[in-house]
Amino acid sequence: MAEISFRQALNETLRDELTRDENVFLMGEEIGVFEGSYKITAGLLKEFGPKRVVDTPIAENGFVGMAVGAAMLGLRPVVEIMTFNFIVLAMDEILNHAAKIHYMFGGQTPIPMVIRTPGGGGQQLSATHSQNLETWFAHIPGLHVVAPSNPADAKGMLKTAIRNNNPVIFIEHLGLYNTKGDVPEEDYTIPFGKAKIAREGTDLTVISYSRMASLALEVANRLEQENKWSIEVVDLRSLRPLDKETIVNSVKKTGRAIVFEEDWRSYGIGAEIAATIQEEAFDYLDAPVKRVANVEVPLPYSKPLETAALTGARQLLEAIDELAPRRRRR
Amino acid sequence: MPDVNMPRLSDTMEEGTITRWLKQPGDKVKKGEVVAEVETDKANMEIESFSAGILEQILVVEGETAPIGQPIAIIGTGANVQQAGAKAAATPQAQQAVAVTAAAPEPASATSTPAPVSNGNQNGLIKSSPLARRMAEEHGIELTQLKGSGPGGRIVRDDIEDYLEQQRTMTAPAPAAAPTPAPVAVPAVKAATPTPVALAEDDEVVSLSSMQKTIARRLTESKQLVPHFYIGNDIDLTDALGMRQKLNASVGEGGVKISVNDLIVKACALALEKFPEVNSSYRDGQFILHKHINIGIAVDVPGGLLVPVIRDANLKGLRTLAREAKALIAKAQAGKLTPTDLDGGTFSISNLGMMDVSDFNAVINPPQSAILAVAASRKTFVPVDNQPVLRDIMHVTLSADHRILYGATVARYLQEVKRLLQNIYLLLG
Repeated sequence: MAEISFRQALNETLRDELTRDENVFLMGEEIGVFEGSYKITAGLLKEFGPKRVVDTPIAENGFVGMAVGAAMLGLRPVVEIMTFNFIVLAMDEILNHAAKIHYMFGGQTPIPMVIRTPGGGGQQLSATHSQNLETWFAHIPGLHVVAPSNPADAKGMLKTAIRNNNPVIFIEHLGLYNTKGDVPEEDYTIPFGKAKIAREGTDLTVISYSRMASLALEVANRLEQENKWSIEVVDLRSLRPLDKETIVNSVKKTGRAIVFEEDWRSYGIGAEIAATIQEEAFDYLDAPVKRVANVEVPLPYSKPLETAALTGARQLLEAIDELAPRRRRR
Repeated sequence: MPDVNMPRLSDTMEEGTITRWLKQPGDKVKKGEVVAEVETDKANMEIESFSAGILEQILVVEGETAPIGQPIAIIGTGANVQQAGAKAAATPQAQQAVAVTAAAPEPASATSTPAPVSNGNQNGLIKSSPLARRMAEEHGIELTQLKGSGPGGRIVRDDIEDYLEQQRTMTAPAPAAAPTPAPVAVPAVKAATPTPVALAEDDEVVSLSSMQKTIARRLTESKQLVPHFYIGNDIDLTDALGMRQKLNASVGEGGVKISVNDLIVKACALALEKFPEVNSSYRDGQFILHKHINIGIAVDVPGGLLVPVIRDANLKGLRTLAREAKALIAKAQAGKLTPTDLDGGTFSISNLGMMDVSDFNAVINPPQSAILAVAASRKTFVPVDNQPVLRDIMHVTLSADHRILYGATVARYLQEVKRLLQNIYLLLG
């Protein structure tokens, strides 16, 4: 077990998988010579050569389409979209091809491809470069959508994604790349559709994913230290398929839930989770499910305004203050 | 099918014991008809049915105790008549099918017991979380009994758990009602862990009645919380007894005779007008002066003691006082006192004179601040102009709350009581 960064975990996992399976190859803008805008692919071109690590033109629709074709013919492309915001240029390839070909052509060709892409705000990249569009993809049958919150999960889930025969949207977060965590050195995979109880608690459940899950864990640990509330943190890890069972069981235990998400609130991941909870744990709810999400505006460039628009630990704490029960359960 | 639930008959009531079923399974019940008698912490009361039908099942048998809101019987069409004794496993219904004979008093604002209203109840809708509803159903709790602490008065799990905890820990009911003018909360007292009484083989163990539990708890509280001090005085009753004899001699058929105690009640009440600080309560660093003078009179009843209250005793004539006292004593002894008869006292009198007591000290009845212990009047030689004269002398002892009352005040108050009783025509004013 070594403590490494999220970035390093991704880099090592890509190297592992390139080594393990010669059908795996990487595509994306600036991932080769430049070693990636966020250095996730550092050293890989040198190690595996230009056939396995392919620099593409700035043409998302084109190279995602190429990846779909390559996957149909048996390769395992791992595409990097430089930021989540650029993925919209490839929507038709993802929605109408990657997600549907296996179904529409009678199961003749699975699409074993991965699209890795970092989302998230907070870097002053302004309105068109700071978005969280996971809902768009989690909505689509035929895709897997995952969003790990720590280096160990990133490794296990990226391996699962690459070895999976379905198209996977693998969501990274700019704010997580430098975070560190213990990562087992052995080869392991983490199944999709399995949420993780990041922290057990009794008073209230916070359901989250990606960077907000790691933030929720920090907040929960702090509240425990301050002896305020015992918060259970459910890290979804996988948005599609969604682990309803873990969510529902946790809410059955605590009776109260907050969904903490960095997307916009309306029609967001929280809406889906809240609906699931009321469908499957209605009789266990002691309060309405709360959603803590970003303010519904295009993200501003100005730092103070950006901070005001993004959700975060403060907003979560306020929500916990409002929702937590009077009596503590231990 | 409507349940008959244990009603809340006073603001301090937590549970009630069924003393008698007037209807048996299979009996027809009319709307408003009395079906059972129940003993609360204060009094024995009657339970009326809200609905008409056949009493199908008795869920709480005579002698058993049930928390308020728990179904005690089922009234239906008669299709499911079952004999008494079946345990209260029935699911509680949403409606409360019970009225009470005596008007239940307004919920006291200062007591911690949940008031039966204001739970966001509008148009019959009780706001409650799904979890709270499920828990209430599992535990047979009537949601109308709870006050919601959630947003908009929503009943949530916390409230159910509070209620359940209260049920568990509450062996004795909550503090007795505060007086009408200004309710005073009696702080909960943690009694020192008592050493368990060792039981000999032939010892008999008798459970305390609700009333006895209340007395035990409240007087323990009083002695632990209230710093008592005692001041005594001798009162010459010779003239008072003479006047009483004359008054009673002319009372005629059916008239009410005036007792010595009635004279003492009147004297105490008039003296309280002059010493309002004695007609008071202590609360959290505050001195609460009650505007009304309501005198509680301790009445010996089988298995305990009740203190019914004569309201505005200072304003009432001796005949009226005598008539009211007589009625209250009769009701007390018949177990018919209602919470209204018992609430709101501001000063109490305990009279053991008829039992030839030479002197005694009484325990203050919180939140009141004083109680007068009255001993027997005895023929005693007292010096009058340096000559021994035989007079009727009665010893009284006033117990007072030293947090708000002081020796000199209480001594002067007693002097005033004495002056009034020794100048008996002053009582006629």
